[in-house]
Amino acid sequence: MGDQLHFVQLEMMVAALGLCVLLGDLFLPMTARRALGWIAAGALGLVFLLSFRESYTGLANGEAFGGIFRLDELALFFKRFFLLAGIFVLVFAVDFAERLRGGVSEYLAFILFALSGMMFAASANDFSLLFVSIELITVTFYILVSFQRHRMQSLEAGVKYLILGAVSSAFLVYGIALVFGEAGSLKFDDLRDAHAELLESNVFLFGMLFVFAGLAFKISAFPFQVWAPDVYQGAPTPTTTFLAVGSKAAGFVLLIRLFGSVVPELTAQWTGLLIAVAALTILYGNLCALPQRNLKRLLAYSGIANAGYLLMGIVAQSGEGTAAILYYLAGYLFTLVAAFMIIHLVTREGEGEDIARIAGLSQRSPCLAFALVLCAVSLAGIPPLAGFFGKFLLVKSVAAEAFGNAGYFALLAVAVFGVVVSIYYYFGIIRAMYWPGETPDESPVAVAWPTRVALGLCVAAILYLGLLPDKPMNWANTAANIEKRSSAEAADPRR
Amino acid sequence: MEGTLFNIFAGLAVLSALLVVANPFNRNPVTSALFLVTTMISISGLFVLLGAYFLAAVQILVYAGAVMVLFLFVIMLLDLREGARRKLNLVSLAMGLMAVGALFLVYKSSIDQTYGSEAPSHEAVADAGQAEAKPVKAVGSTRALGQALFSPDNGFILPFEIVSVLLLVAMVGVILLSRKEPR
Repeated sequence: MGDQLHFVQLEMMVAALGLCVLLGDLFLPMTARRALGWIAAGALGLVFLLSFRESYTGLANGEAFGGIFRLDELALFFKRFFLLAGIFVLVFAVDFAERLRGGVSEYLAFILFALSGMMFAASANDFSLLFVSIELITVTFYILVSFQRHRMQSLEAGVKYLILGAVSSAFLVYGIALVFGEAGSLKFDDLRDAHAELLESNVFLFGMLFVFAGLAFKISAFPFQVWAPDVYQGAPTPTTTFLAVGSKAAGFVLLIRLFGSVVPELTAQWTGLLIAVAALTILYGNLCALPQRNLKRLLAYSGIANAGYLLMGIVAQSGEGTAAILYYLAGYLFTLVAAFMIIHLVTREGEGEDIARIAGLSQRSPCLAFALVLCAVSLAGIPPLAGFFGKFLLVKSVAAEAFGNAGYFALLAVAVFGVVVSIYYYFGIIRAMYWPGETPDESPVAVAWPTRVALGLCVAAILYLGLLPDKPMNWANTAANIEKRSSAEAADPRR
Repeated sequence: MEGTLFNIFAGLAVLSALLVVANPFNRNPVTSALFLVTTMISISGLFVLLGAYFLAAVQILVYAGAVMVLFLFVIMLLDLREGARRKLNLVSLAMGLMAVGALFLVYKSSIDQTYGSEAPSHEAVADAGQAEAKPVKAVGSTRALGQALFSPDNGFILPFEIVSVLLLVAMVGVILLSRKEPR
């Protein structure tokens, strides 16, 4: 038992930190709440550093709790990814605190609990752990989304997310039940061993289809994307950021593990379906983003489109595809955090995030305007920024497999078309900042120093991932290659 | 015997579940809640047939008992009169039936293709049931369930502990969302 706890030490630390924040609220005066957020962010930073410790990384490729919990390079990558996202979102939340009107420390604690759920999901090697960690994430987000009770929009977003989230959980658990009924086991390792028989069974396929539907909801892939725009727009902005980055990445780590390493044969069988889902997601997101005037809604549709691009990595069914997903997600994390932070800073006073609110930002705060330009350019996928390199890798991974399959070429065409369309609406943001019709407000935007540091780090990371891709590419490859090896192991008859 | 009981419980469960959401005679939410009790009890009957006695008892204690009392409390506190007057929406009913029908057809065809379309006779099911009766009962007993949940070897303790965090989150969240406006 004691050895097994070493495997879950990071998750336990994060959950315990959440409890400490909840308790700390009782003993600290109102004025110290801000400090609580920064302390929590600092502690997460410490956990992040601890994840590089020899005694922890030495456990890699091990399994605990009877094979339910798997700690491999992929899980490590995603745990660090989630921790980084958590740190940024905590700093963001402290800056956002005054707009929450009370319950700040609970808000911080909930971010930490959701984070621990995501970290468990990164290691899920069993359907029971998969379902429980997904539920921990989703239930926490129901509350995080509807946290601003004084805003009708936030409550509406919460109710919509609750109902559609419950439906998707029903899909997921129904699918898991069918898979269990057919395989007699919830463990991914058992499924991997028995996949040859299972693929013959249509009940198993039916169950996996439901599981895919449940996960597609989390990553907001077509046709399960309807919730995203309303929820992204209505939720408090730090929640939106965490939802767009963390929840989506959690969905992807599970998709990679399930469809990349447990039943790769099934993925090959479903290539057509996956291509259709990816292409429609890209088209839907990009085309619906065109007429949007609300910045958060615009980024929601762009998030749908990005889920489509990321699905291309699953479609590619190769280590390169997985590595490309990891690289793209890393760039996406920094870009979205920076973009949402700037949107929050500029629209801090007053209601709504209409695109007119950022008019003339280049006059008010040239630095913020420049950072937002970098985000828009990176999201649009223009060299030399992180978004370009990520999209390039994704397209390359699909193109490498494309020969002899017309579907792959169609998907590539759709992806390129999507990029061209997206340039139009991303540049709408830049145009509003630099060439405004009229500038309603001339005062510069005040930015607190922790937020300034976080923004600076994000911008640096966007540039780093775009300009010097060698090292991060290596990390992504390490994380993805282990995945490939484990599926090769499964194919090995001696096992 | 088991086949007959299964048909009774399953039919009752489906029928009363239908009456929970779409009762053509009575739109009173309290009636719906009471039909939900019937559904829960029928499902616990199914659990007994599967040999999961502990689950059956918990189903009645927790769902048919505690949760339903809570439901009734909320319904009566909120006094949902408008819900009672609302008519069934025929269009959405038809759409829902179509969706469920399509899903059922796909599911049925997948079962047929996997197991062959002839349904096994009741005797065959009973024979198979008797042959495997012992292990099934061992799985469903309280002792086996406790060992499955808490023994460190098979690992279900981890999801179990995560559920406790989940429940904490849900509890704190409900209090946060439903308390009076601060200040």
